[in-house]
Amino acid sequence: MTKRIILISTLALLCGWPAFDGFCQGNATTRKAPAEIVASAQSFLALLDEAQRSNVVYDFKDDVQRRRWSNLPTTFVRRGGLRLGALTQPQRAAAMALVAAALSPQGFQKVTEIVEGDEVLKRNDSGGPGGPGGPAMFGRDEYYISILGQPSPTEPWMIQFGGHHLGLNLTLAGTNATIAPSHTGSQPASYAFEGQTIRPLGGEMDKAFALLTALDEPQRKQAILGFQMHDLVLGPGRDGRTIEPEGIKGSAMNDRQRAMLVDLAGEWIGIMSEDAARTKMDDLKQHLAETWFSWSGPMEKGKGYFRIQGPTVFIEYAPQSLGGDITQHIHTIYRDPQNDYGVEWWKH
Amino acid sequence: MVEALIKRVLVLPIFLAVLACPTGVQAHQLDEYLQATLVAIEPGQIWLDLNLTPGVAMADKVLGQIDRNHDGVISTDEAAAYAAIVQHDLSVRLDGHSMELKLAAVNFPAPAELRTGWGIIQLEFSVRPGQISAGSHHLIFENRYQPVGSVYLFNAAHPASLSVQITGQQRNEIQSTGEITFGFHPPSNPLKRAGVVVLLAAPLVVLLARGRRPRKRLEEPAFPGIV
Repeated sequence: MTKRIILISTLALLCGWPAFDGFCQGNATTRKAPAEIVASAQSFLALLDEAQRSNVVYDFKDDVQRRRWSNLPTTFVRRGGLRLGALTQPQRAAAMALVAAALSPQGFQKVTEIVEGDEVLKRNDSGGPGGPGGPAMFGRDEYYISILGQPSPTEPWMIQFGGHHLGLNLTLAGTNATIAPSHTGSQPASYAFEGQTIRPLGGEMDKAFALLTALDEPQRKQAILGFQMHDLVLGPGRDGRTIEPEGIKGSAMNDRQRAMLVDLAGEWIGIMSEDAARTKMDDLKQHLAETWFSWSGPMEKGKGYFRIQGPTVFIEYAPQSLGGDITQHIHTIYRDPQNDYGVEWWKH
Repeated sequence: MVEALIKRVLVLPIFLAVLACPTGVQAHQLDEYLQATLVAIEPGQIWLDLNLTPGVAMADKVLGQIDRNHDGVISTDEAAAYAAIVQHDLSVRLDGHSMELKLAAVNFPAPAELRTGWGIIQLEFSVRPGQISAGSHHLIFENRYQPVGSVYLFNAAHPASLSVQITGQQRNEIQSTGEITFGFHPPSNPLKRAGVVVLLAAPLVVLLARGRRPRKRLEEPAFPGIV
């Protein structure tokens, strides 16, 4: 665990996020009160000049900005807010301290690993955009932060952080918080760093495959969809839609399999701060009998598409054929069918 | 009319240098034409929501089919014409009957965005099956548009109406064909229900009225003075 923290701390420092030092020194189970997240936001805003502040803060009701997130590189879908590469080192550190404050330690670790993976992609992508002489398309500088509304411990507001393969939409409303909808992805899905293999979405891949193999033959027949899945069905840009669930229902699983399903969903839900994640996990457990799991593609780790769908959660994991090895390019989506963007706390 | 169909045209800023340096794009190159269909069944209407994403290797070919005068702009007429080409290769059958598709909305990205392989063409078609009877129904959708190089997704949307329940979905392996079995159980019409109540209650009212009149008569001598 200590080794892991040191490794991630080094990654974060490479990303130019000194604030991560403090994060790593803290207890991994430390909870963040809304006021602490607000204080982090105010510290960040205080370091900005007037022009930067006006670029980073949007009206909370700005639905265009709220929906401006994507799996695509920022050269294709321009994000709002401030680009990390355009910030000074203290500003950048404060921006990342805000993201860290709003997420769980493991959630921030995942974010760090995704961003650093994009830096690896940039280095490997020689000669073209993002490479020598080309405009930046990949890499740790190409991530954006924005705030919707005024940071408040009681009123709803929002933090967006994203770029290529990352679209975090954190809505906070008093003691309530959600990251739905959010996109995580990775390419490469595994890379070496200081002698260790980093797999930003490794837990998702491993736990899903473990669940699939834990099903018996009749259960697996229910879970496996008899057709190919090439992409996310409800990925970025598909807000407000709900598809009919398919696969095997939680009620058809045994206790161990249901626990594995909860643990798998926790890879996404656990990105949120601990209190918010706990509430959401309780919701999931309450509706577990009506929560479905489905798989499409070969029964090989990392090569299959899977989906978790229930009254309180919608998750998809889709390996991408683009770029060769499908195990190395992953798109995922996390949604809350009833409460994307935390609408039930503020939209009346 | 065609203009009314155009919801909006996305114009996203694409860096010219990105277009001029395709090496980087190749790391994300799409060599497929992704055709995703979402079918939303409502009591009086069925919606087909098609998202078409031509990959970078397919984009010029698709763009050539859309921008017929090669002026670098997708006009409303060109958008409608392309939608008609796609529509020609789509079919919907409901309970064995072929259904007519009507174009409801289109949304084309700018040609520059299409060329990146990330642009999404959105087409929305509606089907009006008329009065659907209560009970089980079977819908078959087939997409035969540009089968070479295409990959398909097919899904039933979770019905917004409580009177529609999806009871099954089937696809062929590549999802170019999808079948949806659904139940339609409309709530009984409150006006009809009121009518039934009135019909049932009417004889009772008559009987009651008749029952009351004799009683009244008993109270009032039919022929006053002869009691």
